This record gives sequence, structure tokens and C-alpha cells, in this order.
Amino acid sequence: MNKVETKPVVKQSPAEQQHPEITADLFVPAPYEEKEDEAFAKPALSFWQEAMHRLFKNKGAVISLVVLVLLIVLALVGPMLNEHTYRSQNLAHSNLPAKISGLEWLGFDGKNAKGVDVYEQRGIETNYWFGTDEFGRDLWTRVWKGTQISLFIAVVAAALDLVIGVVYGGISSFYGGRVDNVMQRIIEILMGIPNLIVIILFILILEPGITSIILAMVLTGWVGMARVVRGQILQLKGQEFVLASQTLGASNARLIGKHLLPNVMGPIIVTIMFTIPTAIFFEAFLSFIGLGLQAPMASLGVLIEDGYKSMRSFAYKLLFPAVVISTIMICFNLLADGLRDALDPKMRK
Amino acid sequence: MKKKTWLGFVILVIFSLIVSGCNFSSSDGNKDDKKKDGGTEGDDKVAQVLNIYASSDIPTLDSTKAHDAVAFDVLNNVNEGLFRQDENNQSVPALAENHEKNEDETVHTFTLRDAKWSNGEPVTAADFEYAWKRVMEEAGPYNYMLVTAGIKNAEAILNEEMDAGELGIKAIDEKTIEVTLEAANPLFETLLAFPTFLPQNQKFVEEQGDQYALEAENILANGPFKLVNWTQEQSWKMVKNEDYWDAENVKLEEVNVFVVKEPSAGANLYETGKIDRVKLTSALIDQYADNEDFSIDKESGIVFLRFNHNHEVLKNAEIRRAIGMAIDRNGLTDVILKDGSSPLYGVVPEAFYFSPDQKDYRELNGDFNKGTPEEAKVVWEKALAEVGQTELTVSLNIADTDEMKKVAEFLQAQLEDNLPGFKLDIKAVPFAQRLEIEKAIEYDLSLSTWGPDYSDPMTYLDMWIKGSSANRMDYHNPKLDELVQEARIETDLSKRYEMLLGIEKILLEEDAAVAPLYQRGSAILQRAKIKDLIKHPAGAEFDYKSAYIE
Amino acid sequence: MIITLFVIVTATFFLMQFLPGTPFTNPEKLTEKQLALLNAKYGLDQPAAVQYLRYIGNLLQGDFGYSFQYQGRTVVSMISDRIGPSALIGLQALVFGTIVGLALGIISALRHNTILDYGSVTIAVLGMSIPSFVFAALLQYIVGVKFQLLPVALWESYASTILPSLALSVTVIATVARFIRSEMLEVLGQDYVTTARAKGLRESVVIGKHVFRNALIPVVTMLGPLAVSIMTGTLVIEKIFGVPGLGEQFTLSILVLDYSVIMGITLFYSALFILVVFLVDLLYGLLDPRIDYKQGGQA
Repeated sequence: MNKVETKPVVKQSPAEQQHPEITADLFVPAPYEEKEDEAFAKPALSFWQEAMHRLFKNKGAVISLVVLVLLIVLALVGPMLNEHTYRSQNLAHSNLPAKISGLEWLGFDGKNAKGVDVYEQRGIETNYWFGTDEFGRDLWTRVWKGTQISLFIAVVAAALDLVIGVVYGGISSFYGGRVDNVMQRIIEILMGIPNLIVIILFILILEPGITSIILAMVLTGWVGMARVVRGQILQLKGQEFVLASQTLGASNARLIGKHLLPNVMGPIIVTIMFTIPTAIFFEAFLSFIGLGLQAPMASLGVLIEDGYKSMRSFAYKLLFPAVVISTIMICFNLLADGLRDALDPKMRK
Repeated sequence: MKKKTWLGFVILVIFSLIVSGCNFSSSDGNKDDKKKDGGTEGDDKVAQVLNIYASSDIPTLDSTKAHDAVAFDVLNNVNEGLFRQDENNQSVPALAENHEKNEDETVHTFTLRDAKWSNGEPVTAADFEYAWKRVMEEAGPYNYMLVTAGIKNAEAILNEEMDAGELGIKAIDEKTIEVTLEAANPLFETLLAFPTFLPQNQKFVEEQGDQYALEAENILANGPFKLVNWTQEQSWKMVKNEDYWDAENVKLEEVNVFVVKEPSAGANLYETGKIDRVKLTSALIDQYADNEDFSIDKESGIVFLRFNHNHEVLKNAEIRRAIGMAIDRNGLTDVILKDGSSPLYGVVPEAFYFSPDQKDYRELNGDFNKGTPEEAKVVWEKALAEVGQTELTVSLNIADTDEMKKVAEFLQAQLEDNLPGFKLDIKAVPFAQRLEIEKAIEYDLSLSTWGPDYSDPMTYLDMWIKGSSANRMDYHNPKLDELVQEARIETDLSKRYEMLLGIEKILLEEDAAVAPLYQRGSAILQRAKIKDLIKHPAGAEFDYKSAYIE
Repeated sequence: MIITLFVIVTATFFLMQFLPGTPFTNPEKLTEKQLALLNAKYGLDQPAAVQYLRYIGNLLQGDFGYSFQYQGRTVVSMISDRIGPSALIGLQALVFGTIVGLALGIISALRHNTILDYGSVTIAVLGMSIPSFVFAALLQYIVGVKFQLLPVALWESYASTILPSLALSVTVIATVARFIRSEMLEVLGQDYVTTARAKGLRESVVIGKHVFRNALIPVVTMLGPLAVSIMTGTLVIEKIFGVPGLGEQFTLSILVLDYSVIMGITLFYSALFILVVFLVDLLYGLLDPRIDYKQGGQA
């Protein structure tokens, strides 16, 4: 019998109640009605329908989903909302703070760290919603362009982690013994070789761009995931429901797919959530050593790294990309939590 | 419970072990503070203590092996050679009390003044002979300076045709050194101020073996200061050397140098008063531009574009000229960099190199290939038609530093906007690889930097001759090579200066072989109380000898 | 373990050979003649295989060689000088981060889907999405410059270690809090927890003994390698706070191709990593007796 699907009937049983005696006449058989027993309490729902249902009952998850969709739309449409492009420079408009007419009270007032309206000072008519960088490039456009790129990188990184890490960790721990031993040594070797050396070699061999970023991430990005999955499965493997299923003649694939993986979902999701910012900043690091995006393209990571250097004089350069990335992360996390709860059979209420 | 106590104990032990292994430099710090207080209370004078920072630790203080700005700074203040740079960056006699030359200026005889090493032994002629020969023997990174100085047999030794012992320097007696040159060299005295020409006490060096100059106690001082403390990767401290021959003109009592690698941390340390001088990066300029301690200064390093002269389009001089003309250097230095950099239209920077009649080299030679975007476009289209192309896509090889990346992004926009059909891809790699790509000439355009070895325009000019290891772009103009050879041995300074001017004209006016972009600058915060801190464009950067606190 | 290390050393050695450049100082001004001279002096003119054999030979005799950049300093002394500061701030960050992370994670798991939960999730998420260099710079400015409570940077006394440790602990807090929360939620739904409650155990015992201990597994899995990477130094934090640590040294060595130092630190780092992974595997057994090592393979 599969333990996961057993739902305990007893809850906080009144074991230590002080009834002095329990006699047979205290028990009365419940009336048995065949029809009632046959009837279903709820309409039958498929697993996915139910999961969806549960997901949409989670307020945090729903709000996150909406915000995420909004951000994605902005990332796609945002760069086209004004006449500037992510690369057009205008030195006369360099280092302008954010200004949106109507939103002055929110801080979008075009005033610099000293409280001077720079737009007025320099006689500039155009409003830059998120301000400009030192080249006079519009940060609104660059932030959303960067969001596009960062989201793409995040998704690729998460997918890579999921596929390679889960499969690797799963196989390694499930088969155990010699297989596990060899596979773990391979991980150690991969972790041991300084990846900066490998990455610099990449730069010299490959053209910088998305492909090389992905290759660099493939290198070791999945190792954490593989280790988490392995640790969990090692733990689950000895549990009764797995043994039971094994005894009943379940195939290995079924064991892994049906019994083990669903129970590792929690840590897997959390690990993926860590992969996303790591990947975004790894990309920023890569562009720093030249393997990342070709300038003048920029990702959120690159924008944050640029912004932080002058954060005391131009806080807005750091603020906007940081807010976007944090929002993305918080939404992803709440959504992922909701998903986990929705998909986890144990969480069924 | 028991398990937890045990675990706690283990952590505590590990923790205390680690703390003890951390060698905090605290004990010195406290002593400094006390001394400072004592100084202010005792006599009404200000404590003569200078607190500054260095951007990295000292790799080695062995003058034969030293190669970096940080070590040169320390060596220049702890040791002294035959000559020293004065406040106008001119070489003036230091340990050399007397300097005589023979008629054809190939044999130089120096008489040493009375000077002592910090272990009490006198500085002798043999110390110079030993140190210079050691430079050749150890294949020190600056051994070519002896070749540049034209010291007899130096080149042959470098080529391994001769033994280091045959170098043209001889200690005649305790106080007299005789240096023989291959030919007369107008640069000889200038070069002698370079740290590679410092003396070393043979007995002491041999006693220390391979630990020589790796700790404060493993080096001897004979200069204005003594190194008394050096905590690796953290800080070092110099105090006034009372035995120095000119000690009465040394006012500072103490110089503390802290290793600070992050520019923003340096600025923060300045704000809290820990250090008295800090150099700012572009990103920090806006924050401090209104500060009363803020100032900008020209530096001697230059940044320029190299062209691959084998490239089928770039080998056309007019194409190169158009590229050079299309770049708005003022925008680059004033809006993007803001750190005191200034536009440069030549390879010799402004404000450091003067003709015998005290005219600035830059002023004499003027600006090359300066023009408006419109003019650039005209030249470009004509040249493009000449080579039978309608467009040009090239890549730009750059080092992955902040500065270089900013410049590259700016160049990309400028060139693509101003030159129709031009497309630029930026290829950033770590510095070491940028250099290797350049040396192998496997680039189209390369964003390069150059800093002087000595205070003379020649250090920017002889690198363009065929076969020079700094050429790195297969540029060759026999006329230029010839002029460099002539200037190297010309002892009539006015004539020589004319030649130096001519070299740059060939390089830029005729060939547009490179596109100079800007001369570096430094934006600094320095407390007003610091006076007479001398900064040199070449060789060792700082001289604390005459500095004082007001 | 030895074989793993051997493979790492070999792979790193040959990969390094492919990097163009010289380990010598002042490469910008080195002439070709000089370079040839220096290469001959240090045996770098030999084929890679010969150099490799010589390196392994020296290694077997316990000789890690000398640094190219810091002439005269041995690789061993460089590592032993730099590891102390890195390990200290790493350890402090780890201990502090784990405590705070556990607290945050447990609170949010026990008060699932309440304001407390959302609050600590947000803190944890901010901790992982705002890079440590931003946090470090803010900390340095606010605590060090604005209020002058602690030293801004440099490595002068114990007080110097506090800010870098704090900055470093952000990652640890985020990691621990997220994992422990998710695992606790998972475990809270398990039968044995229900059973324990059914037995009438006090809630604190249920949480402490049954839930918490079982939730630690993925945390330990993540913390092991995290501990290694944190305690062997992190480039950014060390640079910002002027900590004379190993992390900064390692990156620098790679960028200037200081061959012997790269090899030394790689070896040191890998050995430590392998050791920790081994310890983590042992810890699984301690934390969860159900893990059967005869089946799981000896680590």
C-alpha cells in the first residue's frame, strides 16, 4: 500500500480522556444506508483540475501570477513604449533622474541627489520615465529590454537545472552503490576545476552571446540541484511506501516518476527559485569578463552592477532594475509555493 | 543536550583557532593612534603623519625584480640611487655627488656622497655594480632599461651572448663608479632615476637569500624613509630615516599605506578620515565633484586605438584617419569618463614633456587628425570607395575593465553613427588575453593603453619601429625607424627634439597608424593639509621626501 | 578521493595551458627575448606533458612551488596566510546566517500563509535577489560612514570582521530560511507527525524532535558546499571590505595566470569540497537513520 495516499482518520485523539470505564453499551452501530455510501461528496476532478482549483484559491499565488504576467508583457512591450532605443546615445541627456509628469509625488520628479530639477537646469523637454545612464540612454527601455533577457536566461537556467539536475541526482541516488559513487565523483571533479578558467577558454573559442552564456551555465549550474535531489531520494528510498510499491512489482521508472519525484517537489522548487537569481547574476558576471551579452545590450544583472557603483549619486540607476528583479523573484517564489502546495498530494485538504 | 555542548565547544575552538590565525594589523593601529595623540599634545606642531592607500600589495621590494607602481613607490622613498626625480620630474643627482663624462660621452664617472644603509654599513660603488649586474643575471622584468640606457654589453647579455659579469659598470674604488655606454645617450641621466638602477648591499642580499625584500626586516634602507612594518595584503608603514644624508629636508615622520582594492571603499575610508588621499573612479566623481578636497590632475598614461595593418581595409591610411576623426573625444572625456582625462590627438601626452626651450611637446606638434563628424564622413566615403567597399564590419578587442567597456560602448555608437556602413562588434576579454590577442595581431581594432617608462617623449615614440615588442600591429615605416635610430644617439638636445617631433608626424600625420583617444587623468580627494606631495609621470609615482602636513 | 583530486589537478593543469598569456609580471612591456629567457628559466618552454610530470613529481614530494606574481613566496604560505581571514568571516556568516535563517524559516512554516510567513518569505527572497555587493556597499556606507559604528574596511581588529560577515550572511539566511520552510511544510504533512501529535506529544516536542530534524536534510545538503565556498573566500565581499582573504587571491591568480597559485588553491579547494561532501553524507545517516549506506554506496 502506498503510504502517501493514506489519509489518517484520527486527529488529536482524546487518548488520555478520563473516562473511567468503557462498556459495550456505549457503542451503537451507525445506521447503514447503501445509497449514501455510494454517493460522492464532491464531483470527481482530475488531478490537474484539482491542482488548478487549489492554486487559484491561494491569494498570494494568484496575485503573483498576475504581476508576473504583467511584468512579462511590460518586458515585451515596454521597450516600444517610447521613441528611444536601448542603444541610442545622447550625451546632452546623460545622467538624468527619473521623471514622469503626474507622478512627481512618487519621486519621479527629475530631481537629483541634491534636490535640483536637472531637467529644468539643462532645459530638457523630454521626460525619461526611469531616467538615463551616463551615455544618455533611456533606462526605461534598457530596463525592460534587460528584463526580457534576464527572464529568458532565468527560464533556461531553471529548465537546465530541472532536467539535468533531477535526472542526474535521481539516477545517482536511485541506483546507489557503484553508480552513485562514480556519479558523485564526477560532480566533485566538475566542482573542483575552477570554472573561471573554463569560462575564459569559452570566450576565446566562442563568439560571446546567448549560446555561450548557456554553455557556461550548463557547466556546473545543475550540480546543486543534483545534490539536493540525491539527498532527498536517499532518504525516501528506504521508506515503506517505496518498499511496498517495489514489492508490488512497480518498474523503476514508475517508482522514480510516481513515488519518488513527487515527494521531492518541495526542495526541487526551492532550488529552482535559487537558480533564477543566481543565473541572472552569473550572467552579469559573465558579461563582466566578456562572455555575456554584447554591449550595448544589457540584462538586469548588468544594470544593477552598473548602478551600484554610483548608487550614492544616481540611486535610480540601481533602484529600478533592483525593484524589477526583486518583484520577479518574490512573485516567482509565492507562485512556486502555491504550485507546490497545489501539486503535493499530501497537502490535499 | 550533551551533544550540543560538545558541538558548541568544537565551534568555539575552531573559531578561536581561526581568529588567532588572522593576523589583524590592530596592534600597530593602536600604537599609531597613541603616537599621533602624543604628537599633537606634546609640541604645538601637527603630527607629520601621512595616511594613504595602495590598490594592491607589494609583490616584491627587490629593486632588480620590482615591476609595479606600488613597489616603485616604496623603493623610491626607502632607497636612493645615483639620481632622483625632482619636483619638475627632472633627474637630479642624489647619491651621486659628482658626475663626469669623457669627450664622446660614453664613459661616465660618478662619485658617491657619504651615505649609510640602515644596518650601518656605508653605501659603496660595489653596491651599484652588484645590483645592476644582478638585474641582468636574474632577468629582471625591467632589464631592458639597462639596454635602453645603452650600458655596454647589456644587449648582448640580454641575448645571452655574454655573461652578466661583463656589464659596463665598474667600481673603481669605494666611492667611484665608472659606467661605460655603447654610444652617447641623451637619456642616460633621466633613466638613472628609475628604481631598477638602485644599489643593493651584496652581503645583506645574500644573507637573506630568497626571502630578500619580502618582509620589512628583509630590506635595507638608504633613502629618506625606512620600512618598519609590512603586513602582507593589509598595510605597511614607513618612518623617517634619520641616517639619510638629506634627513633635515625630510619633514614627514611617518607614512602609513593601507591596501584598498575597491575604489568605493577607498572613498568611504577617506570620508571617515582613515586615509588622507584617494583616487576616484568615474562612477564616484559625481558624488564628490563638489567636495572642497576634490581636484583633477593630468596623468601620463594614454589610451588609443590600434589598427591591424594587415587588415585589407584598415591598411588604408585614410580609412584609419576617418575612424580617428569620427570620434568625439570631448564627449568621451567630459561626459563619460569625467575623471580628469583629456582629449588627445597625438601619442605624446600634454603637460609633462618639454623641449630644451621649455615648450610643451603637444603644443609644438599640435593636434593630428582632428575633425568634425562631417569631415570624417567625407574622408571615410572617399577612402571606402578607394578600397572598393561600401561597408566595413570590424571587431574591437578590449580588456574587460569598467573604463575600457565604457569607452568601447561610446566608440561603437560614435563610429556607427558618424561613418555610414561602419559596424563595430565589441569583444571583451580579461587583460592578459587582450594583450596576447594584440601580440599575435589577431584583431581588427584594439583598445590599448600605454604608460611611460621614463620622463621623455621617446618612451611613446620608439615603440612603433618594426620589430618592437610594443608595435603589435605590423606597422612599418622605414622613415620612422630611421628617425628613431638617429634620435637615440643625437646629443644635441634641440636637434634631438626636432626629431622627436618628426617621429610623431610620420606616425600620425602621414600614416594615421593609430588613433589616439585620450590622456588619462586622475580625480582625487586630498586633504588640504597635505603640502608638496610630489607626483611623477613616469617611474616611481610618489615622492614623500618633501611632503609635509600643515 | 585521491583519484578524484588527481583528475581535477590534471584537468586544471591542461586547461590552464590553453589560456594564452604568461604568468610573468609586467607582460605589457616584456620583450620577446625576455620572455624566452624567463620561460627557459622556469621551464615553461618545455612541452606541457613534461611540465605536468614535473609538477606532479614536485607535488608528491609536498612541493607546491612558488608564486610567479609574488616572487619568492611559496604557494603554501600564500594559502595559509589568506585562509584565516576568509574562514573567520565565512564561519561567522555561516553561524549567524543559519541561526537567523532557521528562525525565519521555522516561523514562516508554522504560521503558513499568514503575514508572518509572507514577511519572512519576502526577507528571504530579497536576500537572494539583491546581490551581496549591493548589500555590502549599503552596509559599508550606512554603518561605517554615516554612523561610524564599525570600521569601514581594512583588517585591523575583530570589529573589522563584523560588516563583511553580516554582508556574507545574507546568502546563508536566504538559503536556510527557504529550504527549512519548504521542508518543514512538507514534513508537517507526514504521517509520523500526525502520529506524534496523536500520541499527545507536546507541540514543541513534535516540532523539535520530529519535524525539525527531518527537515534538516536538504538544508545540510546545501549548507555543506555553501560552507566551503563561503569559508574559502568570496571575491566581492573581500574586495569591498579589504579583507586579505583567499577568494580575491584565487580570482586574481587566474586572471594573471599565476600557474602555481591556481593549482595550489584548486587543490586545496577541491580537497576541502570533497571532504565536506563526505561529511554531509555521513550527516545524512546521523540525521535520518533510514538512509542505508550499504545500499547508498560509500561516499
